[in-house]
Order: sequence, then structure tokens, then C-alpha cells
Amino acid sequence: MELQECKARAGPREFGPHDDLPREYREAATRMIQFHANSEIMGAYLERPFIRQSPSLDRKLAFSAKVQDEIGHGQLLYRAAESLGVKTREEMLDELANGEGKFLNCFHYPMTEWWETPMIAFFVDGAAMRRQATIKRTSWEPYAHAMDKICFEEGFHIKHGEHIMRELATGSRREQQLLQEAFEEWWPRILQFFGPTDDESTHHDFAAEVGLKTMSNDELRQAFLNAYLPKATEYGLEIPDEPRIREEDGRYVVEEDDLDWEEFWAVANNDYAGSHEQIDARASAHDAVAWVRATISGETA
Amino acid sequence: MIWEVFRQDEPGGYHTHCGNVHAPDREMALLFAEIQHARRKPTNSLWVVPQKEIASQTDETDRFGGTTDKTYRWVSAYNVDVEFAKEIEDSDREQRSVAGDSA
Ligand SMILES: [Fe+2]
Ligand SMILES: [Fe+2]
Repeated sequence: MELQECKARAGPREFGPHDDLPREYREAATRMIQFHANSEIMGAYLERPFIRQSPSLDRKLAFSAKVQDEIGHGQLLYRAAESLGVKTREEMLDELANGEGKFLNCFHYPMTEWWETPMIAFFVDGAAMRRQATIKRTSWEPYAHAMDKICFEEGFHIKHGEHIMRELATGSRREQQLLQEAFEEWWPRILQFFGPTDDESTHHDFAAEVGLKTMSNDELRQAFLNAYLPKATEYGLEIPDEPRIREEDGRYVVEEDDLDWEEFWAVANNDYAGSHEQIDARASAHDAVAWVRATISGETA
Repeated sequence: MIWEVFRQDEPGGYHTHCGNVHAPDREMALLFAEIQHARRKPTNSLWVVPQKEIASQTDETDRFGGTTDKTYRWVSAYNVDVEFAKEIEDSDREQRSVAGDSA
């Protein structure tokens, strides 16, 4: 198929493995889905310690179920990416281990304390859900099918995250204070979750033209802000002064120039201090269970 | 030889199992599958798979998802509001609609 025809036909769930698609489409879709898959895996590793650190058995069970779901999302997405015929799952996993694989900005930062967990489990999962709901209409059918299952499961993640946040927000003074501090630290990163501003986004136009993406980064960021800022205030969180947020026709708009884009690009290129820490930790966890993979595939380790 | 047949109604949908056919080879299996299962119902695509290639397991021998209480992994376990975001409301509804079978 010529690129022109591909653009003309582009629509929800339009293309699948039986279509002979142009190289440009396959590469763009691979980049996007591989990034998504990597992010599921890196997010799971970030939350894994909280299976141990949970303050109660209920939370421990919920975190273990959630981490299991996230790893499953990664596996599902590597299959959707692999079906484009550009890279194998093996190659993508290798790239993630050797630091070439890219993933979401929020998963480059360490998360060590219990009161930080709603920042990922509520806000970041909420942001991811907001984007994922739009990807149900992506043009790569296997990707859309993966979204059907992922969106089904995510409701539990976000409600669980909000439940933790409510517990902290209605807890002791100290818990409220710690939650506020975590929020101030994470809030700008959460707003950068959706990626660079539209004028800096290099891949957006093409991805939109071939139907891989249906909403731009800025549109998603604004939609998220308007749903989640009221949630934060509902729990008594104070919105930091920076980045500035103004109201326009009853909608919140974030002053994007106030966000630290230099740090964002360092993160995006895996060049941030936290990037190496997260990538290496996941790589060594992956190595530690090499014997399991070898046993399953019948090789001798 | 028996082939299991999977039919997809429209582009972008799932291939769902709809029956099986006798056929000596793939080509004939597709032809018979088409005649039996795709001639009347609107069909976008068909798959045929040799029956002996399919591994199966049922809930008579295995309780899928285990036998312990796993309410903690369902939306219904958390009484927080979902109305602020449509995508969470949708997920909540989807989970509740199957929870009767699985929770
Ligand atoms: Fe996920
Ligand atoms: Fe999640």
C-alpha cells in the first residue's frame, strides 16, 4: 500500500497484520506501541516494592494484583508491536535493558514512600487511562484490541489509587502534610506525562495522519487537567503556584512554559540520573530470573 | 479432519468461535466454513484452525483465577466516585457487568 492510500484509508481499527502497509506506518506504530509497552513494564517495577511496603494486607494484595496486570499490559502490547513486523519482542526487551528503549517520563523518578503511591496509582494511571481510552480508536487493530482489555482492567487501578489518596487525605495531620509534599513534587511531572507541547512534538502529525493517534498531547493534557485538578482540590491538596494555571471560559489551562522542558528532554532521552537507576534496576531484576526463562525454553543456563 | 471456525463480523472486531467443519485440507476448510458460517451472516473475515491443534481447559478442573477471595482486584471494592472521568466510568461498568461471573 502506498503512503497516500494509507492516509486516505486511516480510521479506527482500519489496519491489521493482513494489510501490506508502508514502512513509515509500521515504524511509527512500532515506536509508539513499544514506548507504551516499555512504560507498562517500567511502571510495574516502580510499584513492585510496595507489595512489600504496603501498610495492610488489603493494600498488599491490591498492589500485587496491579503489578501483575501492568506486566500483562506490557506483554499484550509487545505482541501488538511485534505484529507490525519491524521488531521482535526479544529485540524490544533487549533495548529496554540496554537503555535504548524509551518510556514515560514519570517512571524515571524514584518512588520510595507510601504517601507517594497515589501520584502514580491515581494521577499517572488516570492520565494513562485518559490517553488509552482514545487509543481504542487507533488505526492499528491489534493495538486497539489490547486497549479493550487494558481499559477494562484499569478502572480498578485508579479507584484503588484514589482510595489510598483518600485515606491519606483524611488521615493524620502528618499524613496530609506528606501527601501535599508528594503532590508538589509530582504535579509538574504528571502534567508532562502527555509529552512535549504540540509545536515541539516531532511525531504527532504523521501519527495523526495515519490514524495511530486521535488526540494531540496538548488536547489530552487539558482534558486531564480539567478532570483531575478538581479531584486534587476535593482532597484538600493545594495546587502549587508553578506551573501557573489560569481559567479560560470555565476551563483550566496550564502555562506550559512554566514546566521544566529541559529536564523533560533529558528524561525522554534516558539521560536523567533517575533514568539509569530505573533502567539498571529493571535490567538486573530481569537478569536475576534468566534461569527461569532458560528452563522454560529448555536451554541449560 | 475437523477444523474449528472463527468468524469476524466487521473490520476491527474480534474473531469469535462459531462452530466447526469437516474438511481434508485448509483450502477446503475455508470453503466449507464460508458456506456454513459466512454465507448468511455478515462476515468480514474467517479463520480455520485444525481442532487437534487447540489446547483447552475448563472450569470443571480448574477454577480460573483461583479459589481465594479476590474482591480487592475489582472496582466494586473501592467506594470512590467515578463520575469525574468517562473512561473510568466505562471501565467500572464493564467490570461490574462481568463481576457476577468472576468475583
Ligand atoms: Fe497498565
Ligand atoms: Fe494501571
